[in-house]
Amino acid sequence: MTRILTGAAALAMSVAFAPAAFADYTIGVSNTVQGNGWREEMICAMRAQALVEPDVTGLIVAHRNTDSAGQLEDLNNLIEAGVDAIVLNPSNPDALNSALEAAMAAGIVVVAVDAGVTAEGAYILSNNQEEYAYLGARWLFEQIGGAGDVVYMRGIAGVSADTDRHNGFRRALAEFPNVNVVHEVFTGWQQDQGKQQMFDFLATGIPFDGVWTSGIDNVIVDAFVESGAPLVPIVGADNAGFVGQLQSVEGLAGAAVTNPGSVGGAGIALAVDILNGNAPASNVVLVDPVLWDNTTEDGRATIAAAQNPDLDPEWPVSTQIPGWTDYTLEQIIACEGPA
Amino acid sequence: MTALIRKHAWVIGLAVLLALLLALTKLIQPNFGAPGLESLARSALPFAFATAAMAVVVIVGGIDLSVASMMAVCAVTAAVLMERMAGVPALMIVLAVGLAMGLVNGALIVLTRVPDIVVTLAMLFVWEGMALLILSSPGGSVAPWLSGATRGPFLIDGLPMALVIMALAIAIVWLPIRRSKLGLAIYATGSDPLAAFRSGVAVDRTKIIAYGICGLFCAMGGLSLAALTGIGEPVPGPYLMASVAAVVLGGVVLGGGKGGLLGSIIAVFILRIIRTILTLMAIDPNVTTIVEGVIMVGVVMLGTALTLRGARR
Repeated sequence: MTRILTGAAALAMSVAFAPAAFADYTIGVSNTVQGNGWREEMICAMRAQALVEPDVTGLIVAHRNTDSAGQLEDLNNLIEAGVDAIVLNPSNPDALNSALEAAMAAGIVVVAVDAGVTAEGAYILSNNQEEYAYLGARWLFEQIGGAGDVVYMRGIAGVSADTDRHNGFRRALAEFPNVNVVHEVFTGWQQDQGKQQMFDFLATGIPFDGVWTSGIDNVIVDAFVESGAPLVPIVGADNAGFVGQLQSVEGLAGAAVTNPGSVGGAGIALAVDILNGNAPASNVVLVDPVLWDNTTEDGRATIAAAQNPDLDPEWPVSTQIPGWTDYTLEQIIACEGPA
Repeated sequence: MTALIRKHAWVIGLAVLLALLLALTKLIQPNFGAPGLESLARSALPFAFATAAMAVVVIVGGIDLSVASMMAVCAVTAAVLMERMAGVPALMIVLAVGLAMGLVNGALIVLTRVPDIVVTLAMLFVWEGMALLILSSPGGSVAPWLSGATRGPFLIDGLPMALVIMALAIAIVWLPIRRSKLGLAIYATGSDPLAAFRSGVAVDRTKIIAYGICGLFCAMGGLSLAALTGIGEPVPGPYLMASVAAVVLGGVVLGGGKGGLLGSIIAVFILRIIRTILTLMAIDPNVTTIVEGVIMVGVVMLGTALTLRGARR
C-alpha cells in the first residue's frame, strides 16, 4: 500500500511540476547481461533515478543477453529513437566506438557506467574493478596469515571486468609470495554453477585456507554449510545474501567489497547534469570500493547498518551512491521508470 | 507466372511482411531513413552469415550447433592476425580456418556415424575453448578498411554497403553451388539420403562439403563481427538460436531437402526490424523477448496453415 501511495505521490508531484520550466529529456539505456542481481539493481537504479529527475520524461531500456555486436544494434536503435542521452553498461571498451561516435555526432550525451569506453567525448562513471579485487584479496591473504592455499573463483573469461579484477588479484598476490592459488575456476557469475564448483572442489578433499569470489558468494557459504565442511575465510561482494551471512553464519570470517549496482542511477544523474550544461571537469568519475569485514568492530557496525530484509538477496546492499542518486529505497525496489 | 509465385510463395510472403514492418517503423519514427536502414543492415550482417551457414547444413539434413563458436574462433583469429600482418592475407587465412573447421565437423559426423546434433554440440565446446586459447579476453584489432567497408551507403543513398557485401558474399559462394551438381546433391541428400545414395550421389562427401560451406559462412560471420566491433571477442554471441529461428522462419524445413537461403536472409531482417520497432516503442525489455518469440511462432503457424490450405485445393 505504501508503495502505491508513494507512487501516487510521485505521480501527483510530477503532474504538479510538469508545467514549470523543466526540460523534456528522453534517455536511452543499453545493457547486455540480463537476469543477474547486480545488473538488475543497476537497471532499477536507472529507472528510479529517471523517475525522480524532473527533467526526464522518457526512458527507453534495451536490456538483454548479447555480445558487442548486439549492443551496437541496440545503440543504433536508440539513436534512431531520437534519445537525448545514452547511458550504457559497455560490453567492451573498444567495440562500441562506431555507434558511440555516431551518437555524439548527433548531439547525444554518452555516459558509460560500470566499465569504460574509449570513444572520445564519452563520460565514464564506474566502480574501480582492479581496486575491488585488490582490496578483497589483500584482506584474505592477511586473514590467512600471509601464507597458504586459496581458491580463486572468477567471473566470465574474456569479460573486461573479470580481466580488470584479475589484474587487481595478481597485484595482491605479488605482495604475498607465500600465498598459492590451489584452484582457479570461472563461475560465469552464475549462482548454481559456482555452488556446484565449490561442492566439487570440497569433494576432492584438497585442503585450502581461503576463498576469493568475484561476487558469487552466498552460495559458496551455503556449499560449506550444507556439506559440513569447516569454514575458511571467504571474500565476496556486498550482495544482500552474503552480507546477511557475514552477520548470521556461525564461525564465518568474511569480507564484502562494495560494488554498487546503483552506479546506474548515478549514470542517469550525470547524463542529466551534462544535458543541463553542468558537465564535470573530468570525463572519468571513479567510485572506489570499500571493504566491510566481520572480524573488526567497525566492519560489523557497517554490516549491521546495511541490512534490509526487503532487498533481493542477489542485489548489492549499497543501493545509493551518495551525492549522485536521489531516489528512495522503495522507488528502487519498485523498479519503475517514467511512463 | 502463377507457378513461379506459388513456388516462391513463402519468400514473397516474407518480403511483403518485411515491407510492412519497414512501413510500420517509418510510421512510429518518421525520421527513420537511410541511416536507419544502414544500421539495420549492419546489425543483420553477422546474423545473416550465421543463418546462411545454418541453412546449408539444415538443407543437407543436418544441424550445426557450433555455428556461434566457429564465428568466435574466426573473429578472434581475424583480430589477432590483423594486428600482425596485412589485411587481405589475414582475411584469406580466416576464411580457410572457417572452411577447415566446418570440414572437421562434417568429417567427424560422417566417419563416426554419431548424430549431427551430438557431434556439433561437442564441437561447440571445442571451438569455444579454441577461441579462448587464441584470445583470452576481447582484444586485437582489425584492418581499418575492413571496419570501414560495412559503413555508409553503396553508390546511392539508402542502399547500405553492409547489405551489398552480404548479398555479394553469399551469392558468390552459394549460387554457383546451387546451380551445379553439388547443389542438387545437397538437396537430394537432405530430402532422402538413401534414395540419393541409390541414385549415385556421394552422400558422405556431399555432407562433408555442406558442413565445409557452413564453416566458410561462419568465417564470414566472424569477419563481420570483427569488422563491426573493431576487435575480436572470444565469447560466442547469440547467433546459434537466432540462426535456427531465422532458418525456420525462412521456410527451410528442419528435416532437410527443402527451402533456400533467400527466405532465411529475409527472415533475419524481419527479426532485426522487430527488435528495432520494439526499442522505438520503448517496450519493457523483459517483454521484448516474449514478443519476438510469439511473432516467430505465429508467422510459422500462419504459414503452415496457408500451405496446408493451398495443398488441399
